[in-house]
Amino acid sequence: MKLDEFLESRTPLLPGNFNLTHEELVKFFWKYKGLQLDFERNNTFWKATNENLTLAYKKLDEQEKELEHVYRLIQEDLNVAHGIQKALFPTFSREKNMPFELAFYNKQLDQVGGDYFDFFTTRQGYNAIGVFDISGHGVSAALIMAYLKSQFMLIMENLDSPREIIEHINNISLPFFKRIKRYVAVNLVVFMNNVISYLCAGGFGMLIHDGKIHTFKKNHNFLGLRKGSFSEYTLPVLHNDLLVLYTDGIVEAQDEFQNDYSVKRLNKLAYQHRNKRVSEILNICLQDYIAFRRYDQDDITLLILRF
Amino acid sequence: MCQTLEVFGALVMGYAQACLNLNIIAGKKVTNFLNEIQPTSWYPLSRWSELEKIVLQSYTNADAILTRVGMEMMFSWYNYGPGKGIINRGVDFLHFQTSSEGYASVIKGTSDQVGNFELKSINEDDGKAVVQSTTPFNRKMECGVLIGGMKAPGDLDYVDVVNNSNNSDIITIEFH
Repeated sequence: MKLDEFLESRTPLLPGNFNLTHEELVKFFWKYKGLQLDFERNNTFWKATNENLTLAYKKLDEQEKELEHVYRLIQEDLNVAHGIQKALFPTFSREKNMPFELAFYNKQLDQVGGDYFDFFTTRQGYNAIGVFDISGHGVSAALIMAYLKSQFMLIMENLDSPREIIEHINNISLPFFKRIKRYVAVNLVVFMNNVISYLCAGGFGMLIHDGKIHTFKKNHNFLGLRKGSFSEYTLPVLHNDLLVLYTDGIVEAQDEFQNDYSVKRLNKLAYQHRNKRVSEILNICLQDYIAFRRYDQDDITLLILRF
Repeated sequence: MCQTLEVFGALVMGYAQACLNLNIIAGKKVTNFLNEIQPTSWYPLSRWSELEKIVLQSYTNADAILTRVGMEMMFSWYNYGPGKGIINRGVDFLHFQTSSEGYASVIKGTSDQVGNFELKSINEDDGKAVVQSTTPFNRKMECGVLIGGMKAPGDLDYVDVVNNSNNSDIITIEFH
């Protein structure tokens, strides 16, 4: 039996059958030595690899700790920002003086966001409501919201007409909005005697007056998008009329088949339940929306008012 | 005239691919690196050094890793590249690598920059050889190249390559 045959056999044969030449013995020696060397090389390689892995895990642990720390700081910051944004929303002492019953829902997609509504008083003492949807989400939208609130606070007591108010703010804010590449969908309603005067630029609104639906007419412009005039409209209101104002968060949300919730569905639902209390209507609309949508895709604001 | 030292794309690719095969460097970084390299183009040595730096920074004992990278490069060169058509025996690799078709064909620059990869002596009967290397490459990686290249044809049972110090130009080889 030759060395190669011997090495290829499954079990070592008896020494009596084994004829190893000197040459084969030498080959066997070097084969053995070669395997030993390979083994040592492999050992060194795997030792170095293991050491590197240990080091890498240690580094990962350190980075994880660092990330946790940074994440905690960001969370703390966002919590503070959330509190600040909440404080920028209206307190309802003013609402008590308003000639309507109100229910509202506002949810920002992140801790802070770009949906915003507010109560104002105009020059002649009319009550007004503004519903705003700032493009984008999160901290940047919240900062713009703070800017917007200050602009409205400065101007509202000097003017009465929604058109004049929005055009004024659009004119002075346009360079700012252009620079930050953002714009705002707005719905501003001024409550006059038995009439509402509204300006709808990208927002959504519906008045159920005397049992009939009046969908808000829209401007083809947004606040901060471009120069130009805006149009305002008036509608008569009676006791018990219902006003529904909202941003696109609900109506553009999609179900699992990518169908939009739609303006039609929300308006129809509010209309069907128009005789209920505003808080009940709000709840019905929200439950229907939650059952429909796969997940929230945007900030959400829905206000329902009964005159 | 100042000439930049350049290495052949196929060599850089071989090096990066070996690192990838051995999971020494992983992820986007090396994949992007590989996508940028054309095998028939020439690249400044700094491209090579970028990779080497990653290995040296990542490992406390980089010598064993660089040796293995050199071996893996030559394993791929022989089994998936042109190697089989060029060498038949392990010893052939020594002659090939030290000839103008070997190391000298994948690097260009002034002679001072390129250095030498020279077979100083060889005794096939005793299985001993000495190579002098003054190339800009890491010696441990070059040891791996010699081990991988000489073992690839499969006729040698034993190949030991020793370079006692990284500063030393002398590489001693024992093969049987």
